[in-house]
Amino acid sequence: MIELHGVSRTVPSGDTMLTILQPMDLRIDSGRVIAITGPSGSGKSTLLGLLAGLDAPSTGQILIDGSDITAMSEDALARFRGTRIGFVFQFFHLLPSLTALENVRVPLEIAGASDAGPRADALLNEVGLAPRRHHYPSQLSGGEQQRVAIARALANNPPILLADEPTGNLDSGTGHQVIDLLIDVNRRRGTTVVLVTHDAELAQRADRTIALRDGRIVGVTDVHASTT
Amino acid sequence: MTFVFLMAAREIRASWRRLLFFFVCVAIGVGAIVALRSMIQNVRGDLAREARALIAGDVAIGTNRPWTPELRAAIDRRLSEAPVQERQEAVEVATMVRPAEGKGAAVARMVELRGVQTGFPFYGRVVLQDAREFTHDLLRNRGVLVRPELLAQLGLAEGDRLMIGGGAFTIRGVISQEPGRRAGAFSFGSRVMVDLDDLRATGLLTFGSRARYEILLKMTDGIEPLTRDLRARFRDRFVTVRSYRSTEDQIGDNLTRAENYLSLVGFVILVLGGIGVWSVTRVFVRQKIKSIAILKCVGATTKQVLSAYVLQVVLLGLAGSALGVALARAGLAAIPASIAASLGTERTGLTASAVGQGVSVGILVSLLFSLVPLLEVRRVKPLLLLRGGTTAGLPGPAALPPWWTVAGIGGRLARVDWLQVTVAVGVSAALVAIASWQAASLRVGLVVSIGFGGVAFVLHLASSAIVFAVRPLTHAKGFALRHAVLSLGRPANQTRVILLAVGLGSFFVIGVRSLQANLLKEFSLELSSGGADMFLIEILPNQVDRVRTFLDARRAATSGPARLIPVLRARVTGVRGRETNLGSFDDVRRQGSLAREYVITYRDHLEPNETIIDGKFWTGQPPLDERASPVEVSVEQSIHERFKINVGDVVRFDILGRVLDARVTSVREVQWEDARNGGFMFVFRPGPFTHAPQTWIGILRAPEDAVQRGRFQRDLVAEFPNISAIDVREVLATLSNAVKNLTLAISIVGGIALLSGVLILVGAVAMTKFQRVYEAAILRTLGASTRMLGAMLAFEYGVLGLLAGAVGGLGAVALTWGVSRHVLDIPWRPNPLLAMTGAVITTILVGIVGVVASYDVLRKKPLGTLRAE
Repeated sequence: MIELHGVSRTVPSGDTMLTILQPMDLRIDSGRVIAITGPSGSGKSTLLGLLAGLDAPSTGQILIDGSDITAMSEDALARFRGTRIGFVFQFFHLLPSLTALENVRVPLEIAGASDAGPRADALLNEVGLAPRRHHYPSQLSGGEQQRVAIARALANNPPILLADEPTGNLDSGTGHQVIDLLIDVNRRRGTTVVLVTHDAELAQRADRTIALRDGRIVGVTDVHASTT
Repeated sequence: MTFVFLMAAREIRASWRRLLFFFVCVAIGVGAIVALRSMIQNVRGDLAREARALIAGDVAIGTNRPWTPELRAAIDRRLSEAPVQERQEAVEVATMVRPAEGKGAAVARMVELRGVQTGFPFYGRVVLQDAREFTHDLLRNRGVLVRPELLAQLGLAEGDRLMIGGGAFTIRGVISQEPGRRAGAFSFGSRVMVDLDDLRATGLLTFGSRARYEILLKMTDGIEPLTRDLRARFRDRFVTVRSYRSTEDQIGDNLTRAENYLSLVGFVILVLGGIGVWSVTRVFVRQKIKSIAILKCVGATTKQVLSAYVLQVVLLGLAGSALGVALARAGLAAIPASIAASLGTERTGLTASAVGQGVSVGILVSLLFSLVPLLEVRRVKPLLLLRGGTTAGLPGPAALPPWWTVAGIGGRLARVDWLQVTVAVGVSAALVAIASWQAASLRVGLVVSIGFGGVAFVLHLASSAIVFAVRPLTHAKGFALRHAVLSLGRPANQTRVILLAVGLGSFFVIGVRSLQANLLKEFSLELSSGGADMFLIEILPNQVDRVRTFLDARRAATSGPARLIPVLRARVTGVRGRETNLGSFDDVRRQGSLAREYVITYRDHLEPNETIIDGKFWTGQPPLDERASPVEVSVEQSIHERFKINVGDVVRFDILGRVLDARVTSVREVQWEDARNGGFMFVFRPGPFTHAPQTWIGILRAPEDAVQRGRFQRDLVAEFPNISAIDVREVLATLSNAVKNLTLAISIVGGIALLSGVLILVGAVAMTKFQRVYEAAILRTLGASTRMLGAMLAFEYGVLGLLAGAVGGLGAVALTWGVSRHVLDIPWRPNPLLAMTGAVITTILVGIVGVVASYDVLRKKPLGTLRAE
C-alpha cells in the first residue's frame, strides 16, 4: 500500500518558489492499476517521481508498505527501488551500451541474484523478446525497447510498478501491446501498477484514475465496479 | 561485487573507442617516463663515472697540512662506520725538477708532483701518449710519468732521468690525459706522477712544503651523508671533502642540474597525460549521466556505480601502462647505437626500477586525474530520467542572490561540494608527492605544483573574463561568429575545460622549452669560458712588460688577448669590525678557513663576472699612496657572509711578513662559474703593493694547432726560462665533451616532451567534440552548412586557443623564472619570443584540431546523431 500524507513539492524559480504539487493526501491499495491523468504541467510526473523516491517532497511523508521513504538516504532509496519498485519511462532509458539481456540482468546483479542469467532470459521470454536478447537498444524498435524496459522493471519481481507515459512515445498499435503487457503483469503477478498517461484508452483500463490540475487532485474516478 | 566487475567490463567493451584516448594518454605518459628514466639511469650511471673520473674516486678528503696521527685516527674511525669499499692515498706537492744529467741540467722547472698508490685511479683512465696501458708497474722503483710540455721544456725524452728532490727518477711514459685534475683549478706546474712511497722517500714532504694530502674513497652507498658529516666534523681542521656529486664541483653541478631537469620533464609529460585523462574522464562521465541515472533508478547505490567506474579507470591505467612500457622498449631499441654512444651510454635497455615507477605512476595518475570528475557521479539524480533524460549536463543550479550579500555567500557556501573539494585537495597533495618523488626533491615538486595550481587558477579566472569580454559579439551579424560566442558562454560550456587543458599543456610545453633554452645557454657559457686554456705562472714583475710584448706579438696565433694578473700570498691575522672582532691570529684560526693562506691581487677595475653588492669600488680613483694606512680592500660575498666582515671593518693582513691594515670598502659577488675571469676573495686598491715582492700569472688561449702550440711553449720557455706554462686544454676538452653529451640528452628529452605534449593536447581538444555532436546535428537539421559550422568551430576553438596559449606562455615565463632561480640555480634569461611563438602555435593548433576533430560531426548525417541521443 502506498500512502501520501500532506505531500507537496515546490522548486525555486528565479527569486520565487514555484509550487508544482499542492499538499495532498492519497492512498493507493496494493494490487490495483491506477492511472494519473492531467494536462501538461499538472504535476503528474512529479507525483510519480515522488512515489519512486526519485525526488523528495518539500513537505509531507510517503509510506510504502509502512516504510517511510522520505526518511531514507539516497543509497537506501536506491536499494529500496531495486527490490520494491519497478519503473518504466516514456523514453525507455535502456543502457545503450548493454544488450537487451544485459539490461534486464543489471537490477538482478545489483541485488546480488545468483540466477540473474536464467531469470533475465525468462523475463525477456515473457515480454516476447527472447529472439532479440543479444540486440543493443539501438537495434530495437520503440515498442521492443519499451518491452525490454518493462522486463527490466519486473526483474526483481517488485510489488509496485510505476510507469511514466509508457505509451507516449509509441504508435497506437505498439502502445496497445504495451498496455496489454502492463495489465497482464498486474493480473498475473498482483503487482500494483501506477501509470501516468495522456492516453484515454490506457486510463480507461485502469481500476481507478486520479486527475490532476495545477498540482491538485481534481477528481478520483473508479473505472471498474470492483474498485473500492 | 559481481555487478561492479561486470559493469566495468561492459563499459570498456562498449566505450573502448572513446576510452582509447584515455588509454593512449596513459601509454604516452608512462612510455615517456619509462623511456626517459631508463635513459636517465643509463646515462646517469655513465655521467657519474665521468664525474668520478674528475676526482678519481667517489669521495676525496684532502688537507694542505700533513695528517696528524690524531686527525687521521678520527677520520679512520668515521670511515670505518661508512660502507667504504676501497681507499687509497695520494699526495700532491709543488716542487722543482731538473734533468739528472746533460746540458739542460741547469734548468729547473716547477711541477705538480703527484704520488699515487697501486689501484689509482678508481675511476677514469690515465692515458699515455703511445697508447700503452697505464699500470702502477711503470712507477715502481723510481719510475716517473710526465707531461709532454715538461719534456719539451727540459729537452728530455722517455728513458731519460729526472731529479726530483734528492733522487733521480726514470721517465717511463708521457701522460696525455689523467683523471683527478680539475678544470679551472689553479695549478703550479706540469703534472709529474710517481709512486707515493718513492715520493715520501724524496724528503720533499717536510714541514712547510706546499703539499696537498688526499684520501680517495670508492663506495656505492652513503656518499652524501658521509660527505656532509665529514665536512661538518673536520671543517675547523682545514680538511676539505669533495664527493663526485659535490656541488662545489663544476661537473657535479651540471650533473645535478641535468638530473633535476630530466626528472622534471618526466613529471611534466606525466601531468600532460593526466590532463588528457582528466579531459577524457570528464567527457565520459558527462556522456554517462543518463546511464548512471538509470543504474541508480534500478537500485544501484552511488558506491557501486563509483566503484565500477574506478575499477574501469584502474584497468585502463594498467593496460595503458603496459602499452607504455612496450612503447618505451620499442623506442629505446630504435635508438641507433651511435646516438646512444654520443649520449654517453652504450645501454639502451629498460631498467626494472624505471618500469616499476612508470607503471605505478601511470595507475596513480589515471586514478588521481579521474577521481574529481568521477565524483560527479554522486550528483547524478535518477529524477532527470523523468525529464526526458537530457544528456546536456548535470542539472544547472538555481540562481543565487549576489555574492556580496549574506544570503549570496551562504548560498554559495552551501552549494560547495565539500567532498569534491577535499578530494581535490588530496589529489593535489598526492600530485606534489608524486612530483617530489619523480624529481627526488620536495622543492621541485612544490615549485612545479604551485606553478600548476597558479596557472589553473588564472585560467579559471580567464575563462570567466573571456565569456564576459566577448559578450558584445553575441550581437554580431555573422551567424557563425554569433553562435561561436554564444557557445563560449552557454550553460555547460567547454570554455573552462579547454582553457584548463590547453592552458596547462602549453604552460608545460613552453615552460620546458624555455628551461631547456636557459639550461643550454648556461652550458654554452661555461663551455666558452673565454677560451682560456693556458696559464703562465711565476712571472716576475720585471718580466711583465716583456711577457706582454711576447704574447701580443703572437696575438694572431693565440686567439685572444692574454691577461696578466699580479698575485701575492696573504693571511688574515685580525679583524676589527661591527660584528666580528678577532684580536689575534689564534682568534682568526678559530674561525676555520679564514686563517688559510689566500692568493690576493690588486687592480683598479671590476671584472665582468663581478658585481658590487655593498659599499663602493674604487673604479676611476687614483692608486693609493705606497705608504697609505689603512689600505682599501674589497671582499668576496662568502667572506662577508661567513665571517660577518662588513663594509667599514678593518682587516689585518700578513703579506709576506709585512703587516698592514685594510679597510673593507666594498663587498663583491663573483660569478664563479664564469671561469674565464677567475676570482679572488680579496682584491686590494692599487698603490701599496707596487714594489712588494710578488709574481704575476698569465691567463691566455694558446694556439689550437698542436705543432704551433708546442712551438709557442718552446719559444716562451726559451725567452723566459723561469716561467711555467700550464696547459689545461685536455681537461677542458673532457669537460666540454661531458657538457656536449648532456646538451644532446636534454635536447632529445625536450623533443620527446614536446611531441607527447602536443599529442596529448590534440587528443584533449578532440575529446570535446563529443559534446558538440548533438548541437551540430540540430544546427544541420535547421539548415547550417558545413562551412558555417566549420567557421563557427574555428572561431570558438581559435579564441580558446589564443587565450590558453597566452596564459600558458605567461605561466611558462614565471615557471622558468622559478625553476631557474630556485631549483637549477642558474641565472634567469627571459625568452619572450619563445613564449609568443608558443602562444601563436597553440592558437593555430587548437583551431585546426577543433575543426579537424569535428570533421565527422560536419560530415555525418544528423539523423543518426539525433537518434542516438
